[in-house]
This record gives sequence, C-alpha cells and structure tokens, in this order.
Amino acid sequence: MQEGKVLPAAQINRDLLRSILETPQWFWPVVSLLGAIVLAAAITIGIMINTGLGITGLNYKVVWGFFITNFVFWIGISHAGVMLSAILRLAKAEWRRPATRAAEVLTIFSLMTAMIMPIIHTGRPWRILYWAFPYDFARGIWPNIRTPLVWDPSAILTYLTSSTLFVIIALVPDFAVLRDRTTGWPKLVYTLLAMGWEGNPRQWKLQIIAGVLLSALILPVFVSVHSIVSWDFGMAVAIKSWHSTVFAPYFVVGAVHSGVSAVVFAMILLRWAYGWQDYIRHEHIDALGRLLIVVATGWFYFLVMEIIFGIYGLEGDELAVRALQFLPGDYGVAYNVWMIVFVGITYFLPVILWLPKAWRRNLWIMSAACISVNVGMWLERYLLFVPGQANKQFQTFTWNDYLPQWPEALIVGATFAFVSMLMLLFSRVFPLVPLYDIKEGDILRTEIQVGRRTVPATFRED
Amino acid sequence: MPNASYEHKWGMVVDLDKCTGCQGCVIACQAENNIPINTKDYFLQRRAYEWIRIERYWEGEYPNVKARFMPVLCQHCENAPCEPVCPVYATYHNEEGLNVQVYNRCVGTRYCINNCPYQVRMFNYWHPNWPARLENQLNPDVTVRSRGITEKCTFCVQRIRRGELKVESQGGQRLNDDTIAAGNYDPACVQACPTNALMFGDLSEDRQPSPSAIKPYFDDVNAHPGHGEHDRETRGYRLLEEMNTRPSVIYLKKVDPYPLKGGH
Amino acid sequence: MASETQAHHGDQSHSEHGHFGPEMWVIPEASVLVAEVNEKQRMTPGIWRVIFIAGGVLTVLGIVGFVLKALSDGFSDHQAWGFYIAAFAFVFTLTASAPLAACAFRFTKSHWRRPLSRIAEIFSLVSLVNILLFIPALIVLPDIGVMHESGEQLVRRSIWFQELTNPSGWLMAGMIGLSLCSVAILWVAAMPDMAQSRHHVSGFRATLYGKLAGCWYGTKRQWQVQKGGLAILGALYFMMVVFVQFLIVSDFAMAMIPGWKDSILPPFYTVISFQGGLATILLVAYVMRRWGGYRELIGQAPFWAASKVLLGLTLLHTYHLFAFFITYWYGRLEVEQAILNYLMFDSYLGIFWAQLFFTFFIPFPILVSNHARREGWGAPLAAVFIIIGLMLWHIRIFAAAFAAAPAVEGGLYYLPSDAFSFPALLLPPPEATFPGIADIFMILGGVGIVMLVFRIGMMMLPPLSLWEMKEGSMYQRVDTLIRGRYLVLGKPE
Repeated sequence: MQEGKVLPAAQINRDLLRSILETPQWFWPVVSLLGAIVLAAAITIGIMINTGLGITGLNYKVVWGFFITNFVFWIGISHAGVMLSAILRLAKAEWRRPATRAAEVLTIFSLMTAMIMPIIHTGRPWRILYWAFPYDFARGIWPNIRTPLVWDPSAILTYLTSSTLFVIIALVPDFAVLRDRTTGWPKLVYTLLAMGWEGNPRQWKLQIIAGVLLSALILPVFVSVHSIVSWDFGMAVAIKSWHSTVFAPYFVVGAVHSGVSAVVFAMILLRWAYGWQDYIRHEHIDALGRLLIVVATGWFYFLVMEIIFGIYGLEGDELAVRALQFLPGDYGVAYNVWMIVFVGITYFLPVILWLPKAWRRNLWIMSAACISVNVGMWLERYLLFVPGQANKQFQTFTWNDYLPQWPEALIVGATFAFVSMLMLLFSRVFPLVPLYDIKEGDILRTEIQVGRRTVPATFRED
Repeated sequence: MPNASYEHKWGMVVDLDKCTGCQGCVIACQAENNIPINTKDYFLQRRAYEWIRIERYWEGEYPNVKARFMPVLCQHCENAPCEPVCPVYATYHNEEGLNVQVYNRCVGTRYCINNCPYQVRMFNYWHPNWPARLENQLNPDVTVRSRGITEKCTFCVQRIRRGELKVESQGGQRLNDDTIAAGNYDPACVQACPTNALMFGDLSEDRQPSPSAIKPYFDDVNAHPGHGEHDRETRGYRLLEEMNTRPSVIYLKKVDPYPLKGGH
Repeated sequence: MASETQAHHGDQSHSEHGHFGPEMWVIPEASVLVAEVNEKQRMTPGIWRVIFIAGGVLTVLGIVGFVLKALSDGFSDHQAWGFYIAAFAFVFTLTASAPLAACAFRFTKSHWRRPLSRIAEIFSLVSLVNILLFIPALIVLPDIGVMHESGEQLVRRSIWFQELTNPSGWLMAGMIGLSLCSVAILWVAAMPDMAQSRHHVSGFRATLYGKLAGCWYGTKRQWQVQKGGLAILGALYFMMVVFVQFLIVSDFAMAMIPGWKDSILPPFYTVISFQGGLATILLVAYVMRRWGGYRELIGQAPFWAASKVLLGLTLLHTYHLFAFFITYWYGRLEVEQAILNYLMFDSYLGIFWAQLFFTFFIPFPILVSNHARREGWGAPLAAVFIIIGLMLWHIRIFAAAFAAAPAVEGGLYYLPSDAFSFPALLLPPPEATFPGIADIFMILGGVGIVMLVFRIGMMMLPPLSLWEMKEGSMYQRVDTLIRGRYLVLGKPE
C-alpha cells in the first residue's frame, strides 16, 4: 500500500510555505538563543585574534587540534547534500524528494562554517588571502600549488559554488510560488529571485537539464573535496598514522555517514517544528536508515583497513601512535577509552538501532542513532589527528599531549549553534522542503495491481 | 648581497661522542636569535621552545643507567618535507643549501610543523616579551618574530651573511673553515660548544683549495646511502634516514667504551 | 512536464519494443516466458559451440602450462609462480564478485537487473573451480615464519603478524566458505525456475531440476523464505567476498613486496573486482543477446542502466589508483618511491600505462557517450577493454609482487629486531619479469576455464532468471500521464 496521501497542490503550498508566511511563536526566542551563543563565540574569536592562539590548548607538538577536527567534521556534514540530491536523483530514488533541499542547504551552511575553522586557526588570519586567493597580490608570489592546503580552498570553493548553484536552480520554481503569495518588499525580492519563472515547458526543460547536469558534474567535486581534505593529513609523511593511502575513500565514506545522519536528524526536527508529517514521512526516514546501514558498514570496513595496515608495517614510530590510541596510556587522557566509545557509538550502536524496521520508523530512536553517529564521527577525527601528532616519530623526548581549552570548546560548540541558526533563518525565507519536487513525486506516484495486492509504483520519466 | 660568484652549501656535523649535554648551545642560540625567554608558564603550557634542543635519553634501568644527549636542530634537509606543504612559500630552499623561513610570508597554518619529522619548527603562540632590562640585549641582526608565525633554526644566517660580506665581498677571499672560525661567522651554537661537538662548514663541490673538515663525513654518508650504513668508514649517520629527507646535518655515533652491562 | 523530453526520446530511438527508448524497456509477457527460455536453452547457436570448444582448448592449454611449470620449476620457489597467481587472481577477481551484482541490484530493487541476475549467479559455479585453482597458490605461498640457519626465527611481514602458523588453512576456509555461499545463492535463486522448468525440459535437466527443486511448490511461505534467504545470503556473501579479497590481495600481493604497506589496496582490489565482475556480466549478456538468440528477452535496458554503474566503478577504480599514487608519490619516502618505481614508473612502466589505457582512458569516453550506452554496444565494448586492462592489472600487481623478492636472505624475511629498517631489495627495483610459454598457457587457461564452466552452467540451469522477469512483467504497466504514454514501475516494499 501507498504510504501517505496525495495532497492537493494548494494544500502543499499552504503547508510548506507556512514556515515562511507565518512566524511560529518559538522562532525568535530560539534564534536569539542560538545567536547569543554565536555572538559569544565571535567575541572569543576576536579575543583570540587579538591576543594570539596562546589562549587555546595547542602546544609545540600538537599544533592542529579542535579547530581542524571541527573543520573536517563540518566538511563531512557537507557531503550529505550531494549524496542525497545528486546521487539519489541520478539513481531515481523517489524517497529522496523531501530530503533534498534540507540536505543541500545544510551542505552550504556547513561548508561556510567549516571554512571559518582553518582561517581562525592560523597564526595570522588577516593574511589569509595570501594563502587562499589564487593571485600574487603584488608580492610576486603565487600560492604554492604543491601543498594540499591550496588544493583545499580550491576544492571547497568549487564545491560551495556548485552547491549554491544547485540549490538556486532547484529553488527557482519555488521562488515563483512565493512571489505569487507575498506582498510588499518580500514580493520584490522573490520576483527578482524567480527570474521570470512562469512554469512553461521550456523553462521546466531547462531547469531539469540544469539539475541533471549539475548532479553529474558535482559528483567528482563531491568526491574530490573530502579526498583533498584527507590529503591534508595523508600527505604529511612525518606523521606516520596520517600517511595512509586509504584516507581519501575512508574520509569520503565517513563524511557521507555523518552527513546523511545529520540530514535525517535535521528532517526529524523540521517535521516536528513545522508539522510536516505529511511530507517527511516514516517511509523516508526508513529508507534513509537503510541507506545509512550500508554507508556505515562501508565506513567501518575502511576504518578496519586503516587500523590493520597501520599496524601491519610493525614500524616503531607508527606502533607508538597506535599504542597511544589503543592501549591504556601513561598520560592523563586515556585515548583507548575514547576509541572504544567512538567505534561503539559510530558503528555498532546506530547500526543495531537501524536494523529493525520498527526502530527505523521510530523518530526518537532514529534521532538518537543519528546524534550518536555525529558525536562519534567528531571523535573519530579527533582520535585520528591528535594522537598522531602527540607521538610523532622516534624522538620520544618531544612527545607531548594536548588538552583543549575553553575557547576552543566554546567556538566548536558555537559552530553547531551557527549552522542551526542559519538553517532556521533560511527556513523563514525559503521553503526547506521543495514544493515542486513533492508535487512532481505526487504526480508520478501511482499503483499497480498484482493479483489482489496493490503495489506502489511510479511513472518513469526517462 | 653577498658575492654570488662563490657557491656555498652549508652543513653541520654533530659529534655525539663529544656532547656533554651542557646546554651551552641552547643558551647561545637563545641569545643570538632573540628567542623569547622560556618562562615557567611557557613550560607548563608546553610551548617553551628552543631552536636547538638537547634531547636527553636514559639508557638502561635504574641504577644501572646512562644519560645520552642528542642536540637536535633544523636539519636543513635537501629534500625537506616542510617546504612543499607551505601554501605561501614561507619556507623554501635557498641556493646555499639552507632551509629558510620567511617570517613575513608566514600565515601560521602550521602544516610545516606537522610535516617536520624532527620537530624543530616552533610556533609563536604569544607575542614575545622580554623584561625591560633585557630589551637592549636583543640582537639587531635578527628579526624579533611576532606571534602567529613559525620559526626555526637558520644556521645563524645573519652570521653567514656577515662573513660573506666581510670576507668574500670586501676581502675578495672565499670563506673557509679558518676564516669562518676567525671571524666568528659560524652559528652561535657551534661557537659556544665547549667540547667542539658541533662543527660547521661549507660542503660545496668546487671548494678549492682546502675542503672543509666536515666534508669527508658527508662524502662517506653520501657514498653509502640508506642501507650501506654498515659499510661506512666514519661514524656518520643522518637522523631518520629512511624519511629520504637528506639533511645537511650529520651525526657521529657515540663511541661507548664501557657499554652498560645487561643493557640492550 | 517531462513529456517533451520523453516524446523526443521516443521518436529518436526505435528499439525493438515499439516507441519507447531503451530505458523504457518492457519485459515480455509472463505467460510465454518460461517456454520461450526453455526453448532457447535447447537451441545451440554456433556461438555456444565456439565458446565451449575454445574454452575447452584453452583449459587444456592451461593444464599443460601448469604441468610444464611444475616440472620445470617445482613448487619451492615462489618467484617462478607469479603468473600463475596472476591468472588465479584474475579468475577470482572477475567471477567472485559477479554473483554480488545479482544480490546488490536485487537489494536496490532495480528493474533492469532482472535479465542479468541469473547470468551473474551462474558465475557461482566458477567459484568451485576457484577452490581447485587456489590449492597450488597456497602451496607456493612462502611460510610466514622460517627458521634461519643461525637458529633465529625469521618472520615476514603479513596480515597474520607474528602468527607463525601457515595461514593456508584459514585462506582455504575462506575460499570454501565463499564458494558454498555463492552456490547457495545460485541454488536458492534458481529454485523457482528449476521447479517450473522441470515440466518443460527432458533428459538430464528434468532429473536435475527434480532433485534440486523438487520441494518447491511456490507457496507464499516458500516465496517469503526464498526472498528473505536471498537477502541474508547476499549480505553474507558481500561481507565474505570483501573479506576474502582482503586476504588474497594482502597475502598474495602486498606481503610479497617487502616494505609495501598500503591500506588502500584491499578496497582498491574490491572496487576492481566489482568493475571486472560487472564488465564480465555485461559482456556475457551481450553475447547472449547478440548471437545467442536472447535478443527480446534481454533487451537494451540492462546495458543502458548497468553501463552507468560500470562508469561509476571505472571512475572509482581510477580514483583509488590516484589516491594510492598521490600518497606514495608526495611523501618521497625512499621505500614508497621504490615501490612506485617498481609497480608504475620503472619496471612495469609499459604494463602500467597499457593497463591505465585499457581500464580508464578507452572505456571512459565510451561509457560517457549516451549514444554508445543507449545502443547497447557501448557497455560490452568498454567491458572488453576493462577485462583486458584488469588482466594487465593482475600481472602488474600479482605477478610483479611474486617476482619482487626472494624468500630467503634479505628478502621477504627480515629480523623482527630490525623492524625499523626496510629491505634494500627494491633499490634499484628488479627488472620486470616476462611470461614464459607455460605462463602464457596458464593465463589463457584461466580465461578458458571460465568460458567452459559458464557454458556448462548455462546448459544446466535456466540461463535467465524466470521468476524475476515474470515478477518484473507483473510490476510494469504502460499508462497515460497527462498527454504521454509512460512505463509505470511498481516497487514493492
């Protein structure tokens, strides 16, 4: 049987635009709270730029800490957008429809958040353009293209640009709907954004072609972004546990793992906050849960490869790092406990929660599993990056550990508030569930009678 | 500019057999290169730094124990892992075999620190401070580095430059071991070392008439790279040779006439 | 809204099923399907005879090659057996992951997979041959630990770490388990077809089908068990195949080159195996369709859809290769440079570039072209190149690895106390080895045995998955949406 009912287009417009046309009571208090946290972090960043990175816990041995971990984490989250939109669009998965927009927007906001991290982590952030901007700026020196740190901004900015285009193209028909339902200056803005959309066949054809083309073109960018981020670490020969050939696919799969989980959680929140039960249905969450089992298992395989071949060489310097990771330590921080927690909450706990169908359809359990994945993936990056630096090379005299300080914790925490705030603000001005995509899905939806059974079916567009 | 007609390739030899771990080189470096004073706070934050450090290792189990010392400074690798990873060319290899750090270019990404296997690159977490009475002792030839940049041993490039200027440009002679020593153009640590455990010299190929005293060690190590370690005639080796970084610093093994009983 | 593009497609490509494009393929009517497939199975167009004879001849050549090799070199020197390992691994790579294609696309409920499922599953029979081929490979694999003349225990680097027992038992257990699992998939998947076909066929097939599917009556409960069983077996097989591939590529390739520590190699090998498996299936499907008389039954849709997957896998292959290369090349570590020189830039330079062309530069443009994919010849053509390329890959990795280092005296075994050092062996890298006549015979034999076994499997079992195709024809309907006629596909939960 078909789940959910086909709603009239007018009701779809009404339901999905409710978040824009009316302001829920909780909206401004929540946004203000998030804004306060972001403001506190912004002040901390200001202090940090003013007095130096000394206020962090970084030291002469561990020079990449919370900020870089957080950077990789948010880059990872950003991989949900393309995974859900482009790949599932090309694979013609019908259940992608309500999730695409939220995923793409989350992509953009998390990329923007991620880009803040390496900038504030540098010693002299005001000189960042010399690094990130591909121009010689009268110094006669172009950025050094040999370093992964220059591949990084290229890949991330390409990804940001193409994702933004992707979102805008998908938004144009919805802008037109909004244009027709608003008055005053919002109408003016939506009119400009809708770019004269009137929904004629030629416009639809162009919109569809643009969407499919961008889906296909964005895929290599999607893979390259996290590969390149992984090569920030993989290229560092001096740190044995980072110099692993598997890093690129390992990071990409891990990114999809955490990103899709984040999207599922965001969708559950939106469903709850805006009452979109008819659009974000249990079947969608269920399908995403099944996808996540596959992704999680793939990720776990890469994790095991990374660890096995870390030990495989039996090289003393690498074994030292692995010992720090897996054995009870002499230091205050017992990484092995964190390691167990991390593998448990990133793979075993969520996959167990995703296996029974009834649990996949229980939103509380799904939320718990998805949060657990994301906490775990954050820990994963930390446990990958920090021990490698702490026990670098043979010169045990220099080995040192790292203890993050409050400014780092505050800024990292505020990035979550920042992304949530941006998502909420976005949902106030643009529909977070694509109207036309839902309507299209409803039109294509039909049923097939097989004997006495009714099977959900779809019209194939191509 | 120094006289470009003379080629140089600077190198150093560290004789571990002579090193007593006295930290003289560390202090000399500190004074010469305007390195901030490592206060108690800095130590507790694990941000105290030295451009040359004496690594101290214990051999054996107490009470049957020996202390081993190893001065570690920037190895000025010919194939330096820190160089390709800097996005702004703040570190590069110059034509005299030095791995130089351009403080003005540095934005402080700290990738070079991570990619240095010897852990000799140091980051300025705080703005450097000296007590007022010490401010006049700062070396005017050396930049006082601001916070937020990476710095490291330069082989006292300011002294080398002075030597090139005085001896080569003005005197018309080529720098050699004798003229370097006579004019104090060698790095501060070399000059300060009471046991002459550190030796500095020019390794360039076309050196005539007298090659540097440290050249034979390099020739020997280069002739038996990597796995030829056991065939070497001298005690020379390089740190972390398998990294393929080809450092310009060679260490001479310690001669241990009385090895620890039962030690490994 | 999609009507315009659709009408465009419909006009442009007239496939054999009326006015729909290849992607809108309609499975023939269910009622005639069984009889038709059984009829076709009985017919033997010339192509099958050619494949049977060629397969047989090549297999005999392979056996001759093996005997020649065994007589001339014996089994003690592993370095002589590189090409045998390459041949074995080639067969294993291509056939072990083939049944997975059936399970994977069944899991994703892809409509177009239906004609390909059985072709994929018949490759399970090759896994029985793989067990046989694996025995000599285990014999020539050097021991993990040996006793040196000086009385010192020498251990070579492997995924078995310091475990001194020979891993042959474990490897063999993995191989047999894999084989059993894939044959079980074949049996469970073919059971409804055999049950139904046993009334249409005569001779040995009738007996065989009666034996294998006598208990099948097609009750609702049986279908539930069958489908659930296939899903579980598929998941199990997936994990097993990835694990066994990990074992094989680490033990027979990575551990054979001292100092080669490469965590991406097992995933890389798995990707290659998926690529090769799918390419093989598509090639076989094309042969069946073009020359074997299954034109209407297979249709163009599987090629159109599967070629996209093949394109993805081809890109993934290149991506993994690049990830390996960039990590090794960038670091300039001595040992990694040596391995790059050996496998890519010096000893095996020619084979590396040839392989790269065959696995990427030639198939990529073919697979990117919509025209080539839609017409149905694009994917099989790319598949041919990919299979040749993968053959070269196996020579470059497995044959090269086996030839890299002698077993004793500074070769594979290093002193555990000396674990920090790395062997001088690859400086400069050894010369590439070239196959002798026996080696060439063995490689040809590997290809031949796959052809032979597949042909026998096709004769024994219904070569198309009848129940899946019937299911497909029930889940499809042509219907009107607004102004156009479209295919409607049902997707049961």
